[in-house]
Amino acid sequence: MITCKVCNNQEYQGVLFCGECGSQVAFTSDKMVNTLVYPNQIRGLEVDFSQTIPKKLLENSTFILYSTEREEVIEIPEQNEFTIGRFVEGQVITPDVDLNNYEAYDMGISRLHATIRINTEKNTISVVDLGSANGSSVNGYEIPANSEVPLNHGDVLSLGKFNMKVILPKDMK
Amino acid sequence: MPDKTDFYRRLNIGTGASEEAIKKAYRLAVRKTHPDVNRNDGATQLFLDIQEAYKILSDPNRKGDYDQGRDPHDISSGILTAIEYSQEALLRLEEPQVIYSLVDIVSTKDEEQKSVDLPLNISLVLDNSTSMKGPRLDILRAATKEIISDLGEDDLVSVISFNDRAKVLLTSQTQPSDVQVETALNDLYAEGGTEIFQGIEAGYEEIRKHPTLNYVNHIILITDGHTYGDEDNCIALANTAADQDIGISGLGIGIEWNDEFVDQLCALTGGQSLFVHDLEQVKEFLEHSVASLKEAFSRRLTLEVTLAPGVKMLSAFRILPEAIPLPIQENYSLGILKKHQPHRVLFEFLVDPIPGEIDRAVIVSGEFIIKKKIRDQVIPITLDRTLSSDIENLEPPPPEIFKAISHLTFYRLQEKAQQDIASGNPGTAYQRLLNLSSHLMAKGEDALAKIAMNEADYIKSHNNFSPTGKKQLKYGTMRLLLPEKI
Repeated sequence: MITCKVCNNQEYQGVLFCGECGSQVAFTSDKMVNTLVYPNQIRGLEVDFSQTIPKKLLENSTFILYSTEREEVIEIPEQNEFTIGRFVEGQVITPDVDLNNYEAYDMGISRLHATIRINTEKNTISVVDLGSANGSSVNGYEIPANSEVPLNHGDVLSLGKFNMKVILPKDMK
Repeated sequence: MPDKTDFYRRLNIGTGASEEAIKKAYRLAVRKTHPDVNRNDGATQLFLDIQEAYKILSDPNRKGDYDQGRDPHDISSGILTAIEYSQEALLRLEEPQVIYSLVDIVSTKDEEQKSVDLPLNISLVLDNSTSMKGPRLDILRAATKEIISDLGEDDLVSVISFNDRAKVLLTSQTQPSDVQVETALNDLYAEGGTEIFQGIEAGYEEIRKHPTLNYVNHIILITDGHTYGDEDNCIALANTAADQDIGISGLGIGIEWNDEFVDQLCALTGGQSLFVHDLEQVKEFLEHSVASLKEAFSRRLTLEVTLAPGVKMLSAFRILPEAIPLPIQENYSLGILKKHQPHRVLFEFLVDPIPGEIDRAVIVSGEFIIKKKIRDQVIPITLDRTLSSDIENLEPPPPEIFKAISHLTFYRLQEKAQQDIASGNPGTAYQRLLNLSSHLMAKGEDALAKIAMNEADYIKSHNNFSPTGKKQLKYGTMRLLLPEKI
């Protein structure tokens, strides 16, 4: 048997890569073992998402929120700041983007869940969770309420359980 | 030229022995020589010799060839095989060892010129369940129309729609007119659920209206749904279809469809299975499927393998022409053999310790069978290695097989992450995907690395894969196995 230097998993003689962690276990020089890349380096990657998103959308000139589960573009107003939430009859302040069409209630979306801000001067887009009941997250990491969090091309923004992919226009990538 | 009586002698019978007598003699011989029973020197070779003899003598055609002094293996065939191993030699060890083998088969140009091109007999089996409503069906209609108009004079085509029931929209025929196709596709509207068996059975029946010997036969299944309760029927039908040289390829649209199941159907028949997210790729898939069928040199290629005693097959993965994991079995359907394009399979074996006195050990013996219009061609292969005690100075494996194994590892990691989720260990799945992402990044596969990382992050918050990411990762890592990405 041979032992994986990274995760101590035991493999049969003749195996080239550890079945548990994927590290090379045979014919390695010492420096080859440490090829693990720091996760944030990958999170920050700018890559071609043509596999995830219809090609047409990638050549867009505007900012897009895309529901991967529904495979459709979510309608957003053409303004530099707008709120997303769930419209309820008799509500005083209504959200600019109403997600009732996306089973908002079941998804745990609050009436006023989040604000999206587009900063045309700095060329950035950010999200602010408005103290929603079920919270928001970016790429699976929960974000604190009432503070501005930047959004990058390809990020997954989740409001409650509802996921949207952030697609930036070409000039903002 | 082989000895005309040798195979009979191996089974200890006369040359006039009946089919029944041959079978009986074989069983007796196996009982006596099986290495589990017979521990004498050379028992393994004896056992394999008997297998070989029986394989020929139990097949009336090949027995006839053999009796008349012809080589039943037909070696001078214009077909080349090449075998690469992950290790120069097997090691003399007290413990089991793993060895990988990359098996290639390719036809030569001369051989292709001699062969007759076979027309196609294809059946397009289209899911028209409610979920296909709107753009999906529109695109499917357009793509189907285009494919049919591109077919050759002698090519047969049929179109089936299916939901809980199947409907033959266009019966199997050559060159349907534009009006016929138009009318047939107008009948394609969305309703009902998804029962794949209904669809492929109707497609199978259409193809069977014409003798499968004279065509390259293929069912192309396009679905976006999850079939329930008829999986076993489908698998049984896929096996029957494979026996009659009918392949099945599947295209899944969106995130709902059952990829494991469709992969299985396709792997059993030597077809390919694909996932598209972008509807525009439906047309590409159809065009690619039909174009690759048109390149057929043989309507079907199979590989029969007999493992030597003490050898276990851990995995099999077809790498060319399309990457797909194969079920572990003794008779592999590898699909059509394309002209001058290699078919390649990666095998992984676990070999038990080998007795000290043997210098060369057989791992697997087997044969490729190339089904052609006039006469099937049989190409024998033997995977064997010499033995070495020099564990310190091993040569690294050839680059091609090293790369294939490395990519297989990626596919396995995502597979394991799925198992982690299924057995309730999202934490392990998370860590595994982080590792996978890292390794992908190190290999320069940035896009896939990012997808793996996004999935890892998704699992952290949802304790499960995202429906899209799961399929993207699976088909993405599967595609990596192709030597040149298509």
